[in-house]
Order: sequence, then structure tokens, then C-alpha cells
Amino acid sequence: MKRREFLALGAAAARSAAAAPPVIDCHAHAGTAQGLQAPWTTFADPEEILRRAAEAGIAKTVIFPISSDNFEHSNREIASICARYPNRFIGWAKHDPVKEKGRIRPMLLREVREMGLRGLKLHVHPTPEVLDTVAELRIPILYHPGRVAQLDEVARDYPAIDFILAHLGSDLSQNWREHAAGIETARRRPNVYLDTGAVVLTRYIERAVQEVGAEKIVFGSDEPEVDCRLELYKIKVLGLPREQERMILGGNIARLLGKYA
Amino acid sequence: MTVDCHALAGKGLTWAEPEAPADYDVAALLDRGAQAGIDRHAIMPARNPEGYEAANREIARLVERYPKALIGFAAHHPQMEAGRIRKTLSEEVRSMGLKGVRFDGHPGREAMDAVLELGIPVMYYPRLASGQGPARWYHMLAEAYRKVNFILPHLGMYRSLTWWAHVEAIDLAKRHPNIYLDTSGIGSLKYLEMAARELPPEKLLFGTCAPELDARVEREAVRLLKLDREREQKVLGGNFLRLVRTS
Repeated sequence: MKRREFLALGAAAARSAAAAPPVIDCHAHAGTAQGLQAPWTTFADPEEILRRAAEAGIAKTVIFPISSDNFEHSNREIASICARYPNRFIGWAKHDPVKEKGRIRPMLLREVREMGLRGLKLHVHPTPEVLDTVAELRIPILYHPGRVAQLDEVARDYPAIDFILAHLGSDLSQNWREHAAGIETARRRPNVYLDTGAVVLTRYIERAVQEVGAEKIVFGSDEPEVDCRLELYKIKVLGLPREQERMILGGNIARLLGKYA
Repeated sequence: MTVDCHALAGKGLTWAEPEAPADYDVAALLDRGAQAGIDRHAIMPARNPEGYEAANREIARLVERYPKALIGFAAHHPQMEAGRIRKTLSEEVRSMGLKGVRFDGHPGREAMDAVLELGIPVMYYPRLASGQGPARWYHMLAEAYRKVNFILPHLGMYRSLTWWAHVEAIDLAKRHPNIYLDTSGIGSLKYLEMAARELPPEKLLFGTCAPELDARVEREAVRLLKLDREREQKVLGGNFLRLVRTS
């Protein structure tokens, strides 16, 4: 290869690299909780997340509370962490639709409109109160349901809301059938996306890309319980075409958040 | 040399729930293992609750076919094969060249006496109910059979479903000189980091649980521990080769 060709290739690679969207982790927990019985009821250290994210080349991380007795307080803590690191964290709220019944609308309106939180994380099945507020605010939901079928129902009933299914339907691949159900739901519902975090049976990530398409897969980690460096490697090792990899590693979540900016 | 202490081959059932038929292909194992830079795999049968003798013969055949790439382990269920273990295992080790055994049920006197006599290591993963850790199942075994080396897979808990099982496994390996921990299939890497920090490097064995899991991801997990070269070499194969007395 001549020197001029070599330099031209290098310049093209540099332009291409510069055009790559930032890598965004869509699933991490931060802050303190009161339970002190497990890591996720004690403390999730944002500094620890930042350290590993920097090592992995992750530019931004979506954070929301761990399991808390008081999400109003925990969401304020998330906003405060994001204020400290505005270029590194994107804050989302978390709520319990059952325990906080009747109080969610005013809290979530304030958290999004005044505190700058940009999405909602749920473990408990959303009630109409939650879903109507989310539709009004036009924010996405990252949902970790007990069973994927629960998500399928609400995604059908609220087509204007974008749902991201946590852990490809099964945290730590506890039940591979839920991965299969998650893939099927994302294939069927235009408003359902799949988060790759904490999937141990990684062949289901590969299958999701094949069957659902890269545009509906969103990279996540479940930091700090699960290491974002290894979760990122699980995507890289698939050897996907560059455009597909970029969508999964940041393009898709950026597009989802951009819709609501 | 990088040696995987825990891989699967042949037909049977998955460990992943809900259980399903499995057919673990050695060609796929070797191909992905090569991508991960793994030189040798210890292979053992999938779960075969109906009986392991045919599955173990298949393991021996595969080792004969790929002698440089594979080390064979038998598998048995001590309760379902009660009364037959000593004879079959002796034949599998002495005549068929298998180097260790995985027990898919808690090993009692019959199984442990056979292992002691043969001088082979035991891989045993207690199927823990929700909330249990491995200490209850391992403490008496390790005390009663101090000359037998035990490999506790998955750092005590497949996929990190119960975080304190990892803590118990690390404590077990600290307390008992004959308990070793395999690195495969861990969901929460921080417990592997805890093990690498708190245990002597001789106590960790690199494993993949491939082809059920991706050997490349399992190898990356060990790389992320950032061990110095000498420690990493022990974890990546030196320790295991010492246990099975081969090179």
C-alpha cells in the first residue's frame, strides 16, 4: 500500500470513529437505601460506576435508585448525583406503583419537569396512574417485570409509551424461556425494546439481534452489581456490523431519549 | 497454557432452568475455545439423571480423539447409582483414562471412598434451594476427606443468584486447604474480584461451563481481574493441571 493510500485510510477511519455515537449504558443503580440486607438495599456507589465505565469507554450511564423505602428521597439523591456529574450520568426516577398509590403523579411531574429526570424504572407492575402520567410526560419506562407477559399487556394498551424490557426478560438468565418471551414481545410490539444487562446466557443476546433487529436492542449493565466492562464485552464479542453495534451501544437509547427532549 | 477446568460435552439435560435437552458439541467447544485462547478443556457429561455410564464412555472416546485438547471427567449421581459407583468409576479412571469426577448429587461414603482410593479430584455443585449457601453441604465433606481435592463450580452459585453463596464459598476455600473454586458462570464479577483479592492464587481455577456459556466471555472475566502474570498462569491452568496431575 502506498503512503498516500495508507494516510487516506487512516483519515477515513478517524472520521468514522469521530462519528461514532457515545456509548451509553441504559441500566445502572446509584445511591443509598435503608434496608441494609443486600447490596441493592444498602448502597450503590456512583464513583465505582464511573471508574469502571471510564475503563470500558462508556461515555454516559443512566442511573436510578436501588430498592428503597422512600423513592421520593432516592430520586432526589439521583438528581443530586447527576448535578455533580452532568456529563456522565442521565438520571431516571424509580417508583413503586402499589406502595405509592395516589401520590405518583405529582412526584413524577416534579422529578421530570423540575429535577431533570428523563425516564422511569419500574419493578412493580405499572398502574393506570403511572402509565397515564408517563404518557403525559412522554418519557420511556425501563421495566423489570416478574413475567414478560405482564409487559406485553401494558405495551399493547399503551402504544405511545416506549418500554425497555430489563435483562432481556430474565435477570441473570434465571429462566431462559423468559428471554425467548422477551424476544417475541419485542418482535411483536413496536414500542418494546430489550436491555442486554445481566444476561448470562449470552446466546439470547445474539438471537435477539437476529430476530428483533439491532435497532431494538439497548446496551445495559445493571451496575454496580454487574460489571459494565464485561457486559460491554458481551456485545463486542458478537462481532456485529459496525452500524448495528453502534445502535445497540448508544444510538438507540440516545434516539429514545431524544424523542422526548 | 490456558486450561478450562469445566466444560460440557455430549447429550443430556441443561443446568439452566427450566431444564431442557442439551447436546453439547465438542467441535463448537474447541472452535470458540480457540477464539478465547484456551489450549485444553476438561470435558464432562451434561446432566444425565437416567444414568451416566454411556455418557462417560462418550467422554472417553472424545478424549481419545482429541488427546491434546481435552481432559476427561466422569459424572455420576451418588444416590441414583448407589451400589455401582465404585466399580464403574474405577473402570472409568483406570481403564478409560478419565481424570476426575463430577457428582450431581451429594456424595456419601460410597462415592467418597471410591474417589479417595482413586486419588482424583471431585467437582460438586450442590443444587441449592433459595436462600441456601454451599457451606452446609461442603464443610463435613472437606473435613472428612482431607486428602480429596474438591472443585466448587461457579464460585458457589451459578449466575450469582444468591450473592451470599459466593461469600460462603470464598470462606470455605479459606478454611479448607482442599476446596478450590471455579470461575465459570458468575453474574456478579465483584465476587470473583473478592475471591482473587482474599484467596491465595492457588485456590482459583479458570472454568467456562462452555458451550452452555461463551468461553470468550468467561476468559474476559478472568482478564478483568488484572492478576500479575504468575498469579494468572496459576488460575488459568497451573492449579488445575496440578490437581489432575497431568501436563
